[in-house]
Amino acid sequence: MSRFVIIAAMVFGLALSAAGSAQAADAKQVFEFYCAQCHGVNGDGKGINVGKDFATDPRNFTVTADMEKRSDDDIRGVIKDGGPSISKSPLMPPWGATLSAAEVDGLLAHIRQLCKCKGK
Amino acid sequence: MRLLAVTVSLGAALLVMTTAPSYAAGGDAIFKKSCASCHYTDGPAKEKTIADQLAKKGPELFYAGSKFQKAWLAAWLQNPKPIRPMKYNSLTEHNKGDHPKMSAGDAAAVTDFLMGLTSPEVKAGVIKAGSSPQAKQIFGKKMPCTGCHEYLAGGEVHGGKSGPSLVGASKRLNPDWIYAYLANIKVFKPVRDMPDFSGVLSPKDMENVAAYLATFE
Repeated sequence: MSRFVIIAAMVFGLALSAAGSAQAADAKQVFEFYCAQCHGVNGDGKGINVGKDFATDPRNFTVTADMEKRSDDDIRGVIKDGGPSISKSPLMPPWGATLSAAEVDGLLAHIRQLCKCKGK
Repeated sequence: MRLLAVTVSLGAALLVMTTAPSYAAGGDAIFKKSCASCHYTDGPAKEKTIADQLAKKGPELFYAGSKFQKAWLAAWLQNPKPIRPMKYNSLTEHNKGDHPKMSAGDAAAVTDFLMGLTSPEVKAGVIKAGSSPQAKQIFGKKMPCTGCHEYLAGGEVHGGKSGPSLVGASKRLNPDWIYAYLANIKVFKPVRDMPDFSGVLSPKDMENVAAYLATFE
């Protein structure tokens, strides 16, 4: 019986980790599709749209000191409702009608990986 | 019996000749041979995931007749200058401007074929080109289209590079399609990197923006 429990736990654990990495891969794809044009493929704020006419610097997600000041709710909110929802630039548009709640959560997790930080 | 068969065949042939649309001259056949490997024309939209969108080599054209202006399309097929600064579906490779060119005859036939592909979502003759302070405010500041799209100002090209350029939009795009696209974007492109502005911009805002873009040189 105890052997069965151990095997079952191992299988469950493997399944969970596979699901986790699939979600991470999805979040990276979602980031590269919707966010990278301004925030850069690496999240450093150097996307292809950022040129002489771009009126602000898109957030560099790799700067831990800046990103840890932002709560998870702040980040979810600005993705869904756009920059002005936290008194930032409207060049960050609202994605609430485009992305699902799961995609927004995935983006948040991806951004937290990029900054290697947690929100306060 | 043979007379009956001949009569039926002749009748069928006549029926085909009289009911076939004007592009029977060959535009659909030319399109299938030269364009269909990169563009699909049988709507509704097929993409369900990001991977579906990334697998496409070029934009869908099942509503081309509602989107484009005929004279622009016929000219562009003969001299296809880049519309997108970047290669389709890429944020790293620039558009090389290597879209195949067509002869004047083929371009006219394919234009006839594509202009027959219309969308019931686009109501014709509603949006008239015109600038307004409200549209300028949305385009440049409130919901800045300029972040992703190029436009002409003071004789110079400004704006972002990830989306299709809006330089020359007045000659390329049908203003009624621009409005329909803003109002119901998912019908045309279920998966795209432009936000869905429904619920964010009012229908009147969208009308103003569509009318404004229809003035772009």
